[in-house]
Order: sequence, then structure tokens, then C-alpha cells
Amino acid sequence: MGLAQGNGAGSRRSLKLLIVDDSNIMRRRIERSQQFEELQVVGTASNGVEALEMFRKTDPDMVTMDLTMPQMDGIECISKIVHLKPAVRILVISALADKATAVEAMECGANGFLNKPFTDRQLNEAIAELMS
Amino acid sequence: MKVAGADRNRRLITAGAGTALAVAMGLALLAGFRLATQIRSSITALQAASELQTYPGVISQQLTALRERLETREYTGQAHAELTGTVQRFNDDIQLLTKRRGGQSPQLQAAVQSWQAYTPVLAPVIAFSGEPYIDTDSGSSLSESGKMYYDNVRQAQLLAKQNVGVLHRLLTAVSGSLETQTSGAAARLRALLSGGVLAALALAAAAAYLQLTRAKHERAAREAQDQTRDILKTVREGFFLLDADYKIGSVWSEALTHIFSRNDFAGLSFEKLLEDRVPAATLATAVKYIKLLWGDRAHENLMKSINPLGQLEIVMDNGRGGKETRYLQFDFHRVVGPKGGVKHVLCSVGDITSNVLLAKELQEAQENANAQVDMMVGMLHVDPLQLGSFLDTTETGLQLINAILKEPARTDGEFRKKLGGLFRELHSIKGEASALNLMSIAHRVHQLEDMVSELKKRAEISGNDFLPMVLKLDDLLAHLRGVREMATRLSALKDPSPAADGGAARKGAQPGKAAGLARGRTGEDISPTLQALAEKLAKDHHKTFKLTLAGLADVPAPYVATVKDCVIQMLRNSAVHGIESSEARRALAKADVGAVRVDFHRSGDGYELVFEDDGAGISPQALKEAAVRKNFISAEEAASMDTRAAMALIFRPGFSTQEEVTMDAGRGVGMDVVARTVYGLGGKIGVSTNPGRFTRFKIVLPAAEAASSAVA
Repeated sequence: MGLAQGNGAGSRRSLKLLIVDDSNIMRRRIERSQQFEELQVVGTASNGVEALEMFRKTDPDMVTMDLTMPQMDGIECISKIVHLKPAVRILVISALADKATAVEAMECGANGFLNKPFTDRQLNEAIAELMS
Repeated sequence: MKVAGADRNRRLITAGAGTALAVAMGLALLAGFRLATQIRSSITALQAASELQTYPGVISQQLTALRERLETREYTGQAHAELTGTVQRFNDDIQLLTKRRGGQSPQLQAAVQSWQAYTPVLAPVIAFSGEPYIDTDSGSSLSESGKMYYDNVRQAQLLAKQNVGVLHRLLTAVSGSLETQTSGAAARLRALLSGGVLAALALAAAAAYLQLTRAKHERAAREAQDQTRDILKTVREGFFLLDADYKIGSVWSEALTHIFSRNDFAGLSFEKLLEDRVPAATLATAVKYIKLLWGDRAHENLMKSINPLGQLEIVMDNGRGGKETRYLQFDFHRVVGPKGGVKHVLCSVGDITSNVLLAKELQEAQENANAQVDMMVGMLHVDPLQLGSFLDTTETGLQLINAILKEPARTDGEFRKKLGGLFRELHSIKGEASALNLMSIAHRVHQLEDMVSELKKRAEISGNDFLPMVLKLDDLLAHLRGVREMATRLSALKDPSPAADGGAARKGAQPGKAAGLARGRTGEDISPTLQALAEKLAKDHHKTFKLTLAGLADVPAPYVATVKDCVIQMLRNSAVHGIESSEARRALAKADVGAVRVDFHRSGDGYELVFEDDGAGISPQALKEAAVRKNFISAEEAASMDTRAAMALIFRPGFSTQEEVTMDAGRGVGMDVVARTVYGLGGKIGVSTNPGRFTRFKIVLPAAEAASSAVA
């Protein structure tokens, strides 16, 4: 977390966002579709291990998290991120539609859950709810 | 919440006012007590003062009386004693009054001073003792001490005369001031008492008001309670509150009792409520979810969207000793306390079994409809000939499967052998169905195949494990019948030729004439179709016969359709007219099972098709009679007809000996169509019969090339 100091992130905008998804298309989709002035995407990651590394480097305030990913899955990654920074807000974006997964993610420390596929509106509503 | 706050405020104010009033009353009482004490002492003093007022006069009178007695030499003992008593009492009283009031009254002080000046004069008088007289012969005269006593009395009497007025006046003034004091105190006491009475009245009023409002609030609370109870009794959903330990509160709606068939909810944990009724994994998720509700991490909307109990399948006792599956819908709402933070979670439970079942039915109906459409679309793309052939082989395959299922088996090895056989058959059917793109069939066979695979994996297999397959097989057979039915309708749409009506089996396999020839170049083997048809005809007409086919695999492609059509028509005729019932055959000393033989072979340049049955044959006489009856020919013409001409009647359009129209005969179309087709191809058709023994049709066709050009 100390590494984040002085890297210039959040100089103008107030909230740093990390996008984690194994699909490149999905990462770009999330980055482009979010319409919040105050959000600044500080990094993207395609698996849990990469996400943790990125998290340590950029110290984001908010994370969008896929669940099914290679190397380290989303649930495990959430637990580790929350351990690093309890105040972080995590939005799970997953194609796993069953409620048990959602409950488990929330239990591990996620703050929101969005099912794939989603509309831009749904994404922005979910982010807005997370920021409030 | 607001109401409760206002209520609390009112109560506080009322209690404050009550306390203030009570304190005021207490103070008034205390002051009153003190005043009363003061008044009592004032009255005592007043009494003393009034009494004192009289003493100077009395002393003066008593001194005068003493002086007069001394002068007249009378007995003085009595008067002296009275004076001494009076002086002593006055002294005592004035001392007492001074002690009580001395500091307060200047008049009293003046009176005391005046009295103190008076006392030294009186003292020698009081102090005298002895005999004042000396008795002489001339009478009594004053002794020496008597003379002194007299002088003292005279002096005192003179001073008393002077003093009595002053002292009296002073004492009267003391008495007056005491009176004023006492009446002032009495007035104050009156005022105080009035105040006290007012305070008491106010306190009583406050108490009455408090009581009244309390009664009103109690009534309102009771009413609210009644209403709550009515709501909880009437509402159809189960309602209850969960506390921070995930336990159910003491109030719940009556519907909950019906939903869960119990009524001991108070203090019951949510986990216990669902335990044994839902799978462990579901229960674990539910408990986790409820814990999350107490946190502030997720918004209400999100929590609602991830509610894992939105449609919960639950196993309940049905009240008749059995179990039943019900569907419950749980909703959770956080109840936030006045200082923020979740105080309770309100749960509502509804029984949505009928909704869920209805939705399932709708979905099934939708799927069925979709499957029908898919099936129809699939069939539209399949060659009718191929379809018919496929249906026939599939049916045979399924019969084989049925036979495999029925095979007795006891050991695991035998069961596994059964499974192997089933799997091979199913797999080949699925392959064919898929090749023809008949996905509705392929899908069903695939499900069966899955069941077999699943069973293969099991460590132990019993005969009961095969039961679901039998049910599935029935379902598949029903579906095949549906497909046949559909094929019939489609074929009727595509090929409205008169020969096209009739049973499903041959419908699917019966192409339009020209199209059939064209498609026939694929060299399709028509034997299975014909065998299937023979079986069906036998069953439909309660006949028993065996169809023997020979050389049909060698039918050249252009002739396949024609040969098939002809054989089908002749087979129908045999089944309806030719082959007798088993009873009739036994009576005629024939074999129980009839024989129908079809033989196709090359003959010279062309081909020859022989169709023969060992049935009743054709009676020329019966043909003639039928022809006359239908006005085909006159009775004279009939009489002049020879056997050969009579037999030719069967090739005439619209001729039939059958009175009743059935699917397979009686419409009078059939042999005429066969004959015309044969003639059209440049062939010949002949019939020979021996009534009671056989009927034999012989069709001669030219070489295939000639047939092609003839059609073209």
C-alpha cells in the first residue's frame, strides 16, 4: 500500500479504479462504459495474481472483479484485497448467475454484484450504488 | 416514532408539573405548620399579657386593702399572703413573657423596667413577717416592726397608685402589638392555606389529566395492538422479525403456522426453521445471506437481487404421512433502529407453489410447441422415402431395445451386458436421427443414452434402475407416432394424389410418382418399409401372415417407387381380401399363418415382379356380381363375360368388392392405378387365381432405360 504514494494517481480525480477480468474485451467495455468523472482507471488485470500485484502498486479505491479467472479466482482475490485494504469497494461482475456465488462473494468482502451480460446503464447504476 | 416522541415529551412535562406542585404543597404545609406554631405561642403570650394587664391594678388594690387593715388594726395575714401571691405570679409571668418576646417588643421592655423600679419598694412589704400589733389594755397598737411595715406599705401603695397607670398602659400596648402580630400571622396562614388548597386542586387536576391521557393512550395502544393482531391473523404471507442472533421474535403472522406446520417460532433460529427441509448447501448460503443483511456493505436493492431464497424448493410433510415439495418465496427487509444500524430483519414468506408449477407447465408447453415446430421443420427437409425408412428401422430398433430391457438379468455382469446392448442400439438410432436432422428424436434418444451412461458409471446396478428407461422409451415411442402422424399430413400436403391416402407407414415412404422415380435412383432398399407395412396391415385387419421378399434390393432405381407402390397396393388387397382369418384358414385345413411372397427378378431384357398370396383367391362370380351391383356392367354383359374378362374387372377405375370403406381398401382406387402405372411404363400386368387357394399378380416391366425415357 505504501508503494502507491507519489505515483501521481488521483491527482485530479478523486477515486481510483482497478478493472479485473480475464477478457480483454470486457475490460475495455467496462473502462469505456463507466461515465463517472471522478473515476480514474489506474490499472487492469486479467487474473487474480496480476490483480493483487496491480492492487499493491496502484492502491485503488474501487475494483471491478470477475470471478472465473485463471491462476487465482475472483473470490480468493477479493479476500486478499479486502485484507490489504478493508475500505476498498469491490463490484463483482460475473457470468455466474447463481445466488450462492453472489452471497459467497459478498461474504468475502465484495460490495456489489452485477451479472454478465449487462447494459451500460446497469453498470453505471451498480457503480453509483457502490460509490454512495 | 414521532408519536412516541411527542408522547414522551408530554409525559415528562406532566410529571415535572406534578412534582413542582407536590413540592409547593409540601412547602406550604411546612410554612403553615410553622405559622400555626407561631400563632399558638402568640396567643399564649397574648393571654399572659392580658392577664398581666390586670396585675398592677390588683396589686394596688391589695396594697390599699393592707394599709386599711393596718390602720384599723385588723388581721393582715390574709391580705399579706394574697399580695405576696399576686406579686410572685406577676413576677413569674412577666419573666416568662420577657423570655419569649422580650427582644421583640419595646413596650414590654419598658414595662419590665417600670416593674423593676417598682419591685425594690414592694420587696420590704413582701419580706415582712411577724406580728405588726402589740396588744395593750387600751387596745391594739402597732409594734415597732409593725410601724415600719405600715410605712413600707404606705410607700408602696403610693408608688403603686402612680405606677399602676403607666404599667397598665405599657402592658396594654404589649397586648395590642401581640394581637396585631397574631392576626397578621393568621392572615398569612389563611393565604397559605388558600394557596395550598389551590396547589392541591391543581395537583388533583394534573393527576386526573395524566390518568385521562394515559387511559387514552392505553386505549389507542390496545386498538393498535388489536389491529396488528388482525393484520397478522389475516395476511397470507408469513411475517416475522429476526433479531441479531438470527432468531425469530415473539410475534409472527398466522400464515407462518400453515406454511411450516408448526407454531413454536419464538426464539427459533432461522437455520433451525429450514433445517432438514432444504439441502445443506442451500441452508449454508441462506445463513450467510442473513448474516450479510446485518452488515452495511450492501444496499437493500443489491441484497434483494442476490436473495438466494427467492424461490426455495422445500420438502414438507403433507399431513398424510408423506412428503411433498413446495416452493416458498422469502423476502428480507432491514428494519433500521432510531439511531441507525439494523435493529431487526423483517422476513416475509409466501407459498408460491402454484405459481411455480404453472410457470413450469407453461415452459413445458412452450418447449413442446417449439419441439413440434422443430420436428416439422426438420421433417420438411427429409426425403419422405428416407423418413419412412428411418421410422421403420427406428421402430424395429426400439423393439429390440424393449426386448433387451425385458431380458431377465440377475448378476451385475448381466446388467452390464444389457447396458452395452442398449447403448449400441441407442447410439445407432441417434446417429441416423442426427444425420436426417431429426433433432427432436435425436435429443430424446440422447437423453436415454445419457441414462445408460449414468447407469454404467454406478458401482451397483439393480433391475429397478432400468424402470426410468422404460418410461423414457414409451415417451420416445409416442413421439415417433407423432412424427409418423406429422409425416402423413405433410405427405398429403406435398402429394395430393389419390393413391396417397392410407396408413402412415406407407405414406411416409410413398413418394409422388415422377419425383419418386427421380429420387429412386438412390437405389433405396424398400424391404423394411414393406415388412413394417405388412405387420401393420396384419395387426389392423386381425390377420396372420408372413411376407417373404426376394430380389427387391435389385430393383433398378427408376422402378423403386413403382414397384413399391404396386406391392403396397397388392399387399393391402391381400390383407383385406385375400388372406382369411386364422379360424377360416383352420376350417379350410390351411396353415394358420398365411403366406405372401414377392419376387423381383430379371426376365429377358426387362424385369418381372411376382406377387402371390395363399388366400381366398378371387371369385369371378363375385366380381361380376359386384360390378353389376355398382352398375359397371349390366346383368346381360355379366352373363356373357368369361373368367378372363371378369378378372379384368379388378383393373377398372373405381371398382371394389369391399362394401365398407377402410383405410386400406374399399375406395375403389388401387389396382387400377397400379395397372395404369405399369402400362405407362410400357409394362404388362396379369392376374391368375384359384378360388380358395391363391391369387397371383405378375407384372412385367421393360428395361430400365426404356422406363426412364417413357417417363421423361
